Amino acid sequence: MRNKNVVSLLILVLGTLGILALTHAQNAPEASEKGKEVYEQSCAHCHGTEGRGDGAAAENLLPQPRDFTRGLYKIRSTESGELPTDQDLFDIITEGMPGSSMPGWETALSANERWEVVAYIKTFHSGFKEREAPPREISLEGKIPFSEESVEIGKGLYTELGCVECHGNVGRGDGTSAPTLTDAWNFQTWPANLTQGWTYRGGSDTEDIFKRFIGGIAGSPMPAFEGDSFLHFGLTSEESKRLTELENMDEMTEADEEASNQFYEKMDEAVNIALNRVEGVELSAAEQQLYDNAMKVVYEKSWHLANYVKSLMPEERPEPAIGNNVLRSQYIQGELPTIDDAAWETSEARYFPLVGQIVVEPRQFNPTIDAVNVKSFYNDTEVVFLFIWDDRTYTTGDETDETTGKPLEDALAVQFPVKVPQGPTAPKPYFLGGGRLPVYLWHWKASAPEQVTELTAKGINAAEVQEVQADLQVKSTYTDGQYKLWVKRALKTEDKKDLQLESGVFVPIAFSAWDGSNGDIDTKRTITSWYTFVLEPVPSSRRFIYPPLIAILSFGLLVGLRAAVQRRNSVS
Amino acid sequence: MKTYLLASLAILLACCSIGTAFAADSDADVEMLVFPDSYTASSVSNGGTISGVVKFEGDMPEMKMLEITKDQAICGATEKYDEALVVGEGNALKNTIVYLIDISQGKDFDKATKLEMDQKGCQFTPHVQIVPVGVRLTMLNSDKVNHNVHIFSSINKPVNKQQTKNRRRMPLAAVKKAEGPVSVKCDIHGWMSAWIAYVPHPYFAVTNEKGEFTLEDVPAGTYKLGYWHEACGSNSESPVSITVEAGGTVTQDFALKLK
Repeated sequence: MRNKNVVSLLILVLGTLGILALTHAQNAPEASEKGKEVYEQSCAHCHGTEGRGDGAAAENLLPQPRDFTRGLYKIRSTESGELPTDQDLFDIITEGMPGSSMPGWETALSANERWEVVAYIKTFHSGFKEREAPPREISLEGKIPFSEESVEIGKGLYTELGCVECHGNVGRGDGTSAPTLTDAWNFQTWPANLTQGWTYRGGSDTEDIFKRFIGGIAGSPMPAFEGDSFLHFGLTSEESKRLTELENMDEMTEADEEASNQFYEKMDEAVNIALNRVEGVELSAAEQQLYDNAMKVVYEKSWHLANYVKSLMPEERPEPAIGNNVLRSQYIQGELPTIDDAAWETSEARYFPLVGQIVVEPRQFNPTIDAVNVKSFYNDTEVVFLFIWDDRTYTTGDETDETTGKPLEDALAVQFPVKVPQGPTAPKPYFLGGGRLPVYLWHWKASAPEQVTELTAKGINAAEVQEVQADLQVKSTYTDGQYKLWVKRALKTEDKKDLQLESGVFVPIAFSAWDGSNGDIDTKRTITSWYTFVLEPVPSSRRFIYPPLIAILSFGLLVGLRAAVQRRNSVS
Repeated sequence: MKTYLLASLAILLACCSIGTAFAADSDADVEMLVFPDSYTASSVSNGGTISGVVKFEGDMPEMKMLEITKDQAICGATEKYDEALVVGEGNALKNTIVYLIDISQGKDFDKATKLEMDQKGCQFTPHVQIVPVGVRLTMLNSDKVNHNVHIFSSINKPVNKQQTKNRRRMPLAAVKKAEGPVSVKCDIHGWMSAWIAYVPHPYFAVTNEKGEFTLEDVPAGTYKLGYWHEACGSNSESPVSITVEAGGTVTQDFALKLK
């Protein structure tokens, strides 16, 4: 018992020390020659020698490398309008920025070198030198743990605060404002697809989400939901609820009007104090108390919102469909599921990450489609696939590509070999078809949502529409930034140019996707390499038929043999 | 994990070696106002007045209609035009800032004036707003839609705040330094655009739809008179010299071309 106490105490002490060590933000040293040297060697290629974000490699990057001279830093732990802390800069250099070209430098640069670089980067913007006080940091105290209830409250706020405008109804970055967003440098920018945590520039921990929400993402369209601009700042949750009711009334009685005015006065007072604070006016104890109370409500709500956003993403990025994760088409007897059948829910999707096609002109350096998810079933005669992918915009070819004059539209292509390579050493067709080994393609376009065209391709620019089109059944939907494409085909067709499917045979499969609003056209698209799919053999029935059958046959053979021998013996 | 790393590496390498140009039309060429090093406010008696008309020189430009891409019921109720260049009858040029560049002493700000910028029908009104340093500007939301007030300051702290549909009034913190004009946008409604000039003295005017401006209570003396217009640029390099006599009125007209 005593030992246990000692151990608990030790854990407590060590834990506290650990937390202290973790939360103790470090400061960068004075800028030095050393920092300049490291910067010019490792950073200037993208960020430019003068820190303007205009290095040699910059023009091909989107998001663009940070221009340090404007002092606009996206990922901060500080309040809106503040510069980042040194620790913020150090962390970004160390960890990199997911979803952008910024790599983590943890292994390439020593901690010392990284701190030197932090010091040097700060010399590009005078604000660092001029600031009188340390930046105000966003407090992470009072974190509300993840719970269904919290998520539910957060979900309400998500709509109420207007997150949907850009991030869309369920967070796929498909809001109605998404297509027109630009950053402070006038580059087009897309709102985060909140369901893909691995693309969050500043990390996707609940704390990260909380900080981005309160502090905003400087230079981007993401506003700061700091205290005074928060919905009903200064009101308690109950008061806010009541005021929302009042605000949503079509007509107010005099008493209602009076009540809402009182709420507004209370809000004005709190806002006034918050602005005084930002403007540098010293707050009285009473004002500070009022401010703290108001902020407590804001922070509580913000944690709920962060919990909701956290609930939108899987815990980890799904594993690509290789190894144990290869796409298995499951056998079912009878009718295959329709596009909205509940049976799809029972099957786990396989994840095929997409990257920009950068080998052949025109190239796609800034892909907007992350991956395609696939499910499949088959029966004795047919196979059905459900392809699911996120695309922030629904583009059906209303606009045309400037160079080719062709319509820009969303599309998906699924690629198989015409003939399945036999054995593991047999060559696969050259990627996207080439020379002797052609590929068999299904090409779907958003402008013809219930049609898939079969093509044969012998190279990336040598695809031909097949003369004989198999009887493919196709359905598709686009909802809340997500496409679902349902394709059903017979396992066997008469056409020699088609792939013939057989249970238990591993078939190469690959994908291409086009996001019309991102300028994707022809070879400017996103692609996967070859993956594998298989019609999963049915183990059950044969297991019970063949062994007994063989046993019976063997027995019969033996009996027959014996009879034959006996007969011969009796004759002789 | 390996596949992601390889893929990102491939992209990076390709990006480094192959060139595809991305055109960035930045706001960097926006010209700035020029402010005096210091300004002392005191009472001005028997000051003079500078007034005039700013006209657009050149063919009457066609009004550029804005494309309303969302919230049609509220934003698209009436046709909206780009206010970067508003030329009225007789070539009158609206939204030109006319100001004294080198005044170091003069009247104080009119504290009674309410500083408000409205978001109405998904357009900022006024299009050009003068805001004294140290004074709060209140953003109004007359629309029943969400807006975000995004002010691209660089000398002062940049601002980007959501003003939800029910928030009728949202005061913004006063700024400490003169700056501008800085661009104001609403990212939710990408076409919404306005300008704010944070100024250290009250001798700033914005021309009305007749192109008229007036600067009153100017202490007698000789000053540099400047202008700024979003589409026509500024004359800060070669301002007009103007002499104001006590109690007198001087007229100075301008004719501006597209920059």
